[in-house]
Amino acid sequence: MADPVVAEMTLEMVQASQFGLKAVGAGLAVGLTGIGSGIAEMGIGAAAVGATAENKDMFGLALLFTVIPETIVIFGLVVALLALF
Amino acid sequence: MFQPERMSRILVAGSKDQMDTIVRELYHQNAFHIEDFVEKEDEAYEGFRIGMPLAGASEASTELIKIRSMESMFGISPDTATTARTHSSPELRAGIDHKLAVLVRDVEESTAQRSKLEAQAKALEARATALEPFAAVPLDMDLYHGYEGITVFAGYVGSDVEIPVPHEKHYVPGGKGRQNFLVVFVPARDAEAANSALLEARFQAVPIPEGSGPVNDLIYDTRGKIAQINEQIAKIERNLEEKKSEYSELLVAYDEYFTAVVEQAEAPLRFATTEDAFVAEGWVPTERVEAIIAALTHATAGKVYVTRLDIGDDPKEVPVEYKNPNFSRPTELFMDIYSRPRYDEFDPTLLVSIVFPIFFGLILGDVGYGFVLLVASFALRKFLSGEAGNRLLDVLRNASIMSIIFGVLFSEFFGMGLPWESIIYTRHLNIGGHAVHHPMVAELLIVSVWIGLLHITLGRLIHVRNISRAMHKSHHATKEILAQLGWLSTMWGIVIVIWSMFAIPLMIDLTGFAPVAMGLNAASIVGVVLGLIGIVFIGMESPLELVEIPTIISHVLSYTRLVAVGLSSVAIAMVTNFIALDLIIGPQLESLSAVGVFIVLLGLVVLVIGHVLNTALGILGGGLHSIRLHYVEFFTKFYNGGGKKYNPFGMIRKFTED
Repeated sequence: MADPVVAEMTLEMVQASQFGLKAVGAGLAVGLTGIGSGIAEMGIGAAAVGATAENKDMFGLALLFTVIPETIVIFGLVVALLALF
Repeated sequence: MFQPERMSRILVAGSKDQMDTIVRELYHQNAFHIEDFVEKEDEAYEGFRIGMPLAGASEASTELIKIRSMESMFGISPDTATTARTHSSPELRAGIDHKLAVLVRDVEESTAQRSKLEAQAKALEARATALEPFAAVPLDMDLYHGYEGITVFAGYVGSDVEIPVPHEKHYVPGGKGRQNFLVVFVPARDAEAANSALLEARFQAVPIPEGSGPVNDLIYDTRGKIAQINEQIAKIERNLEEKKSEYSELLVAYDEYFTAVVEQAEAPLRFATTEDAFVAEGWVPTERVEAIIAALTHATAGKVYVTRLDIGDDPKEVPVEYKNPNFSRPTELFMDIYSRPRYDEFDPTLLVSIVFPIFFGLILGDVGYGFVLLVASFALRKFLSGEAGNRLLDVLRNASIMSIIFGVLFSEFFGMGLPWESIIYTRHLNIGGHAVHHPMVAELLIVSVWIGLLHITLGRLIHVRNISRAMHKSHHATKEILAQLGWLSTMWGIVIVIWSMFAIPLMIDLTGFAPVAMGLNAASIVGVVLGLIGIVFIGMESPLELVEIPTIISHVLSYTRLVAVGLSSVAIAMVTNFIALDLIIGPQLESLSAVGVFIVLLGLVVLVIGHVLNTALGILGGGLHSIRLHYVEFFTKFYNGGGKKYNPFGMIRKFTED
């Protein structure tokens, strides 16, 4: 028979570690998607700045192209929020 | 509202002797967008040539160049200049020969004299520098010149040199910042030997200045002359400065006057002309057509022919002028950044001007930050002049007001709570263990998804409106409309299937129906059917579009950024408060010591830096994400853009009047 005090402690510990894993998962979700967006925006951003330098009218379209991959990290953030709360 | 200003295409024809009058009247009306005439090898264009400029064009251009160069010399510009009064054109015209010509001659003379004096000063400066090293040698300047049998060497050396021939030598050891200086007199026949000895010691010769008498006197003299010249230059500059303050108003007025003259004189370059007549084509706002025809007829005493032409069916030909209520005018900036609407297109400026601040407020819903941005939007007006800058600040003002409103609703003040509970779903996070309850993330996310669904549906419906009211009727119009309805049907089909499978708070619960087959209930069947019909409609227009179907989900979910970005800004604010107030300042205040005061100050610095950074992030996050939701998720549903800017022939006078 397990000591009831020890069992209660274990339950708390389990809950704490569950929350810890959630936090790790949330962190991974934001971090990895952030890297993904960053890699995607790297090439687009460079090309967009080049295009804008050539022709100022491109600015709106260039900005639009650059922020398209932003959605990836937003999804990561949403997943993280859903995991945490 | 919701569509650009209505335009009419008009044609103005007259005999050449009326051209001057007509051009002047059109310029005065400031409404005629000239369609440039292009010569073509075509029978219909035979006999038409591009016109020649009116008399006086080149003189006016020359004057304009003079005035512009004076303006740039004085550092004034018509864009930034302000004047107390306007000058009348006849008065300006009368003043060209005496007032302006005198001013131009005056300024030109002054600047010519100034550059002459500056050159003189530079030459004297060079002489003084050349004389300087000789000052330490105890010889008068005349002793260096006028020999036949003696060669003089003067220059810098690394160290003292032994000269292997009879000579007289003066060596001046260098000090800080000065090199060793050497003057050697040798008989002319031994010059070569002396030269090679000097070269070995790395001798660098300097030219020997002209002049007679003690060197120090010569230097003193030169310096005196330089001071005199500098005084004269300063006098000329004071004079020019006086002229600038006296005549800058007149200059910008003349700039405007001659710009108008040149633009009018060069207008015929855009007209079609024959031997005796000319034809001008262009666009005017429909509501002004009658007035302009009347004005032209009046000005020429009826010797003009004006008629309306068919506007054709190419919307890109028609110049586009926004027609919006004043409230929406600043937002036209965002439209121009993306692309000006096409003539036959729905103009979403009004929608954007309402929805953008709401999105901004949802993201940055904080009374403190909103107030800071509101103050900034007024304070920055001094630095950001120009129309675009003012419009941007107007948009910022509207956005920050919405931010304050949402801050009251969310009960947020720099990340801290206001004295009341959050009126709508709370965004307070449990940082530092203050919060009584968790933020209602799920509810907030669902609200943002609702916003996305409605916004996108609106976009698709606007596309249907655009197709049905296009100037150029496409053969596939019906198919295109069906495709748009297909997109809507697919989106709502997917939504209904999700509703029928999961009970989601704040959404319609369709899980209650009896299951029919494969775990689907009656509602899901409806959803699936809607989705399939939609896909068929999309595929009928273009099978390639089917690739885009996943964007239905990603675009709707993209609206969750309204909450996600907002929560991250709340988190940064709360973490800053926690670190600065609870971790750094709080413990010190309990028992204040000398070191404690320093740490409290440090905590305040952390607090300020954190919130300043978060304000900057708030503008970027709130502004960029809100405008991006419009550009990417909303505009791609219906907006083409590519309209030509309406650029009427004429000017808005600031400094002159007729």
